[in-house]
Amino acid sequence: MRKQALSILLLVTGFTAVSAQQNYEVGLIPKELLTHANSVVRDEETSIQVKDLDNAVEQVKKAVTVLNTNGDENAHIVIYYDKNDVVRNIKGVVYNEFGKQVAKFSGSDFSDVSVGDGFSLFESARVKHYLPAVTEYPYTIVYEYEVKSKQTLTFNAWSPIDNFDESVEKSSFVFSCGRDFTVRYKALNIAGKVVIGVNTDKDNTYSWQVNNVKAIKDEPLSPYYRNVIPMVQIAPQKFTYYGIDGTFTNWTTLGKWIYDKLVADRQQLPQETIDNIKEITKDIPDPKLKAKKIYEYMQHKTHYVSVQIGLGGYQPFLASDVDKQNYGDCKALVNYTQALLKSVNIDSWYCIVEAGSRYKVSMQSDFASMDQGNHIILCLPFKNDTTWADCTSQTIPFGYLGDFTDNRTVLACTADGGKLLQTPKYGPDATIKSRIADFTIGADGVLSGTMSTTFKGTYYDYRDELLNQSGTERNKILQKIYPLNNLEIGHYELKQDKSFEPCTTENIKLTARDYASFTGGKYYFSVNAINRFEETLPQDINRQNNVYISNGLTDLDDVTYAIPAGYHLEKTPLNISIDKPFGKYTATMELKGTQLTYKRKFELIDGTYGKETYQDVIDFYQDIADADDYTVSLVKN
Amino acid sequence: MKKTLLTLAILTCLCRVAFTQDFPYGQTSTDELKMSRYAKDTSAHAVVLNEYGKSEIAVANDDNIKLRFEYHVKIKIFDARGFDEATKEIELRNYTDKSEQDEVEKLTGTTYSLAENGSVTRAEFDPSKEYITRNYKEKSTLKFTMPALAPGCIIEYKYTLVRPIGLCLEHFQPWEFQSDIPKVYSKYEALIPGHFTYNAALHGFLKLTETKADVQRSCFSAAGSSSDCSDLVYGMANVPAFVEEEFMTSARNYRSSITFDLVEYTSPFNGEKFKGTTEWRNIDYNLKDAYSFGGELKKTSYFKDRMVPITAGQADDLGKAMAVYAYMQQHYKWNNYEGAYSYDGVKKAFESHSGSVADINLGLIDALNSAGINTEAVLVSTRENGFVNDLYPAVNEFNYVIAKANIGDKSYFLDATDRMLPFGMLPFECLNDKGRAFNLDKPSYWVDLNPSQKRVSTTMLDLTLAEDGKLKGTITRYSFGYEAYETRVAIKKFTTQDEYVADFGAQLPKVKILKSEITDLDSLDKPLTEKYEVEIRTGDKTGAGSYSFNPFFLSKIATNPFKLAARTYPVDMEVLSEYRTVLTVHLPAGYSVDSPPQNISEALPNKGGRFLTEFSSEGDSFTFSHIIQLTKPVFQPEEYPYLKEFYNKIILSEKAEMVFKKK
Repeated sequence: MRKQALSILLLVTGFTAVSAQQNYEVGLIPKELLTHANSVVRDEETSIQVKDLDNAVEQVKKAVTVLNTNGDENAHIVIYYDKNDVVRNIKGVVYNEFGKQVAKFSGSDFSDVSVGDGFSLFESARVKHYLPAVTEYPYTIVYEYEVKSKQTLTFNAWSPIDNFDESVEKSSFVFSCGRDFTVRYKALNIAGKVVIGVNTDKDNTYSWQVNNVKAIKDEPLSPYYRNVIPMVQIAPQKFTYYGIDGTFTNWTTLGKWIYDKLVADRQQLPQETIDNIKEITKDIPDPKLKAKKIYEYMQHKTHYVSVQIGLGGYQPFLASDVDKQNYGDCKALVNYTQALLKSVNIDSWYCIVEAGSRYKVSMQSDFASMDQGNHIILCLPFKNDTTWADCTSQTIPFGYLGDFTDNRTVLACTADGGKLLQTPKYGPDATIKSRIADFTIGADGVLSGTMSTTFKGTYYDYRDELLNQSGTERNKILQKIYPLNNLEIGHYELKQDKSFEPCTTENIKLTARDYASFTGGKYYFSVNAINRFEETLPQDINRQNNVYISNGLTDLDDVTYAIPAGYHLEKTPLNISIDKPFGKYTATMELKGTQLTYKRKFELIDGTYGKETYQDVIDFYQDIADADDYTVSLVKN
Repeated sequence: MKKTLLTLAILTCLCRVAFTQDFPYGQTSTDELKMSRYAKDTSAHAVVLNEYGKSEIAVANDDNIKLRFEYHVKIKIFDARGFDEATKEIELRNYTDKSEQDEVEKLTGTTYSLAENGSVTRAEFDPSKEYITRNYKEKSTLKFTMPALAPGCIIEYKYTLVRPIGLCLEHFQPWEFQSDIPKVYSKYEALIPGHFTYNAALHGFLKLTETKADVQRSCFSAAGSSSDCSDLVYGMANVPAFVEEEFMTSARNYRSSITFDLVEYTSPFNGEKFKGTTEWRNIDYNLKDAYSFGGELKKTSYFKDRMVPITAGQADDLGKAMAVYAYMQQHYKWNNYEGAYSYDGVKKAFESHSGSVADINLGLIDALNSAGINTEAVLVSTRENGFVNDLYPAVNEFNYVIAKANIGDKSYFLDATDRMLPFGMLPFECLNDKGRAFNLDKPSYWVDLNPSQKRVSTTMLDLTLAEDGKLKGTITRYSFGYEAYETRVAIKKFTTQDEYVADFGAQLPKVKILKSEITDLDSLDKPLTEKYEVEIRTGDKTGAGSYSFNPFFLSKIATNPFKLAARTYPVDMEVLSEYRTVLTVHLPAGYSVDSPPQNISEALPNKGGRFLTEFSSEGDSFTFSHIIQLTKPVFQPEEYPYLKEFYNKIILSEKAEMVFKKK
């Protein structure tokens, strides 16, 4: 799938040239725009002009004042482009605090590099970038450039706020096109309405403008940026892309075009492979189990390699190629799996999804456009049972998605057109980590015993890093997972149940010397050494954003310690219970004779909560961190 | 660290028929295919079964001298985690002039697997699946990945890299015997014509298991003259995987490899001799002569007038030097390029406020000299780049240059690329053993780059216990040296100081920060002071009017940073460190400390470090202080268990809690 500029910091927009020499004196910036700002966009004019189906020009003119060193990165000019595009007319000027020109730059100062993501075998996208070196703050850079593109399928969204901690004095966007070019648009978080008009070339124009937008802070647990920042998205009706024409007005027609032009004719397989698939599934009558067998065959045979090539990265390479090479990217592997399924007449859908575990981002149901989504998964529409699969992993079970693609709207591209579908949600009732531990603490302070943990829901793959690891390497990873000092693994076992309700089970036999310390006639040890909550949140007095918790989960720990005889507790035993809309926590402890039992339950409930909840979440996290840090102290009777 | 100079007697009169040292292509055995783990390292996901490289110098039709590097490898892949070994990246220089471009020729590859019926299936690499990406300017990357991978398969590929070498080749193609997967055998053959003389150095802890030196007659000819070649073969059997750990300098220092540095070269075209790295005298001469080094050091007059207002009012040399350094440091933005030689020249860099390490620091040296401060350049190899070679003189191992200002009987190392460094402090990257000091008038000499400063912090807590169990008072933290540097960098990353304080507070669940004050944030030469007014929840109730409290709550070490059973190379902590905490608590009348902490004293052998705690009480107050000190920057592998145990003891001691009790 074509890679999007994912982080808000790199949301590159395009803009328009023009405007006479302005006064960029820093003193002219309204005071309220300086609050919490590292930089201020003084003036931005972006325009996209569609001259023909294969000729669109985006012009950008932008003036940014950088207030301190942290704002330098906001003066970094970054222009993405690919084979369809030509970047031209780059120029710029640097002004000092008083608006006096101190330097100039042009296109030859820019570096032109491949957008290497570090893991792709090939990536066609490129970037031109330049960061002026100015050492006296504040300063202002004013620059312009244009990008001419041979395609009209996707247009850069306009977002006046490119960065956190950056305010905007004025920013405007004009989209213009011939009268026969029908355009759809969607404005988000913008106060003003679109202004529709006609320009001197008799083209239709659509304009937006924002003024005096205060800086947005990068706050922990914030919702997805699209829900917060002002933005305008544009999509065509008729377009040309790499020489292919098309039309769409909604998800149904866009899905149809993707299916017809990018996927449909790429699923031929050699007869030998088809025969083989028929052979290995011939004794399985149930279509879902048949599909499982084929998925596992595909998993065993292929592995994921990112190759962003073919129609700007939108087209999968041929199924027959994957069959021969045994590798492909997400598109190619889904396409290949579809081809394999087709050979035994199992219908499946090629689905576009915006993947990521930090936010669940859905296809926007009211606005169809090609630039949504960054990953492809597979959907199998069995009767009364829709099954999902990600084809890029060699290890996950058939029907399992995990928090990378769960709980969001995706686009299925089918012969009957596109369909918006919802992927399954896991949440705190399905994502459960449950542990039973049975330990003994010796008179010498040594901890020994066994521990059995099951992982369900999105927790299922939490031990995948240990698969195929043996001996020393495995123990090194376990030392990091379990912060038990002097941890020695006596026996380790990892079982994965890959049924339709998958579950991972881990059994460990362990010892750790010096777990308890003995000083001044007392024993001290941590009641919870294996599952500590260590996330911390900073105070945020002027919280701007709602609180967003993306993944729900439940942790259950049940630990018993057999302690040396003849001791009693010095302190009141741990007994805490917190119940909040976004989470619950209980921890209790009891000593009976030489048996100390510790029970802990932690539940996080996904959802979006009001910004006033933030302080509650801080307190919740701190109380848990504190309770998890409880030290048992034992005194001789 | 460990480097051995290789000397091989070359038998000059022995003629022999050269036969290939390479292993045959396309052969694999069922045993190899059936192998399920590598017996010598069962944790390996892949193992190199055989590897061979051969480099020779040849002259192309257009009289261009080229290096031809043949590479051939056969790798067994045990499971999917080993699949990464099937993707190869080759860095290429991609100049506009075609005759200077690197090229890869004859790339062939095969994947072998065992079919269910026991027969061996072969999948050939498809040359159309070779991808070249232009990264930036003159650099490209060729990438390919092998087809038909499956757990248990064997991949084999070979290619020839042809690299134009211009006038002469300062470093002959190096070879890495060791990588992150183990190797059964790795062999390198170097064919070096008599026109070239190189020093060969073996790096790392492992020994060669095969060395051969022969002569190949008339193997190189150019401009009508031909010469014999030394045919050198180096082999290493059973090479273990190299595993990177925390607290280490560049892996290059420890990984087994072989490198070649030019000693002398005679041009086959005109007989002209080029002296390589035989003596520092020659290097000094070359450096002085180089436009981008010695040439740039002669530009003091450019800075002379510019420094007059900067040093005005400074009575002594030290004051002047500090003023020039502070000015130059704030004047530039480093463009992140390293290198000992100037790219843009000191003038252009000064005008544009931007430059590479050498552009900036050679400018700094000129500026200091122009202000009358005797200043030399010091060539440095960064930690990432590896230790400097002290076996023989070689200039090309340096990748960084700093200034050394000599004032009175003292000298100060200066680097103007980082705006947060105080006067006389080097960035961590430069703390790498020693550097070569150079000036225009004297022979160069070695200087120790031992850091003048440590990582030091002193934290004073002055707290009063209230009847409700809360402790109120102040925490004052003074940071010095590298600790102050790192804290300043951390604070500056936040948009506001309040956010830094909020972040600091978030790490301490029991502590509520009521007020904060940070002083001397921008006075780089002074210690940094952070003062917090706080309210602290004591721990859990132990009964009415009785509270438990962990006196280490501010900086408790939760897990041991040293977890391995053993270590094969040194632990490198960069600089010495000292963390001192002094806690004073005033108790309400009628309260006392039940089971006060015992005084502890732990020490590392060889005066490596110590951990001390001390408790003393007076009236209604007590003081508890503790200190963790590391007094050596580098610990040898044999000291590792002691270091691990030292931290274990600290963690153990920090578990103990004290109890405040009403009498």
